[in-house]
Amino acid sequence: MGCDSRSVAEIIDADAFEVSKFGHTTRQISVRMQEITDAAKRGLGTWVEIDTQHQAMVEEARGSIACPWPHLGRFIKRVTTVKHLDSGQIIRWTDLNVHLIAEHGFFEGRGSAFRIEPGKLAKVIF
Amino acid sequence: MFLTVIIAVGVVSSIGAGLAALLVVSERFLTDYGPCKITVNDEREFTIEGGRSLLFVLGGEKLFIPSACGGRGTCGLCKLKVLEGAGPLLPTEDERESNVRLACQVKVHDNLKIEIPQELLSIREYICKCTNIKDLTHNMKQFRFELVEPESIDYIPGQYIQLLTPVYEKNSEEVYRAYSISSDPSDKNAIELIIRLVPGGICTTYCFEYLKVGDQVKMNGPYGDFRLSDSDAQIIFIAGGSGMAPIKCMLHDMKNTGDKRKVTYYFGANVAKELFLIDLMCDFESELEDFTFVPVVASPEKGESWDGERGLVTEAVQRNLKNASQCEAYLCGSAGLIDAAIEILTELGMKEEAIFYDKFE
Repeated sequence: MGCDSRSVAEIIDADAFEVSKFGHTTRQISVRMQEITDAAKRGLGTWVEIDTQHQAMVEEARGSIACPWPHLGRFIKRVTTVKHLDSGQIIRWTDLNVHLIAEHGFFEGRGSAFRIEPGKLAKVIF
Repeated sequence: MFLTVIIAVGVVSSIGAGLAALLVVSERFLTDYGPCKITVNDEREFTIEGGRSLLFVLGGEKLFIPSACGGRGTCGLCKLKVLEGAGPLLPTEDERESNVRLACQVKVHDNLKIEIPQELLSIREYICKCTNIKDLTHNMKQFRFELVEPESIDYIPGQYIQLLTPVYEKNSEEVYRAYSISSDPSDKNAIELIIRLVPGGICTTYCFEYLKVGDQVKMNGPYGDFRLSDSDAQIIFIAGGSGMAPIKCMLHDMKNTGDKRKVTYYFGANVAKELFLIDLMCDFESELEDFTFVPVVASPEKGESWDGERGLVTEAVQRNLKNASQCEAYLCGSAGLIDAAIEILTELGMKEEAIFYDKFE
């Protein structure tokens, strides 16, 4: 949650609205994130050309992180870094971020280490 | 309508959270489980006050069980057998083997009989002083810790320790993280670690931004079964990033013991400036009987002079190793690197049982 004083429901609603302003759904966003992560994994920790507009790389650390929602599911500590070649913008996410967005529509609270601003994310990955 | 739903969800969530908090507080302060006897391996018994997690209780008795998540039930490392006295399985325990439980998820409410693997009984806690921090790359540092209490450590090259991250500005509770030992094993009074900064990482942020030379830290160990075999087969080392740590430790050991095995070490980096400890590797080339270091750069930057191997580290292995059937491989790095290396090595004829690895997962 970081330092976000809003409730989880408020964060999810606000971010879903933000995503919709760019003509996408949280599902479409998570599918694109997963596509980029899967492509970047082939680089074994080095930069990979995703398409003419994007480069990405993945870095892994020891351990796994559990989803805070009450269901089974652990995610490798893998961070995907994506660079938009035209704008130079860089964005990072973890495997847990992809799951949280896909299954719960949750981009994390403001101030948390892996909060992703939906508007920036949509601009960078599409 | 929408506002009503939001309010209803908020009210229900608040009531649930309130009840959960009440339960935790009442269990902590009102419930008295009394003294509980814990029997370890039918050999050792001790009595503690019930109510805390088994992992916490064992730590208090200087019995250190591997744990990388600080007891949150997420790393799955603190498995042991609870033969008698444990409660039902919790959702975070997906291990269904007979009597195998996560020590962090077992609350001690009753007398317990447990089995701890023999190798874990020799694990100790070390109080150390940080005596040197050396920049290796933009996101990689080497830390040297001199042992204060006890003053020396014995470990097998390839093993790891768990470093305790204390409470600090960005972390509200103590957690342990596992790091491979990179030092020369003949230097028994110190431990060196090679740590890569993980964005948002609790322990790595502490090490990079808060830990200073002169600070005291706690670690425990050694753990792990990643180690050199006793054979005289040719060795292929493959690593990337902080995967350098256990390989470096093994190379020191080979030098110390006069090991004459033929060794080729493929080490991958994104760009040439991300390679590190090159001088040390050159020293090993002259000091070891038959050692070749092969740095591999994925994409040399413009203006960067690089006439060595290019591409992925696995591609370099494929180009240079024609027949791996008589070799052994030791791999350290990400799950992706290790999976890719295993695929290449088996294609080159290496038997799976000759491939040893330390996977970051």
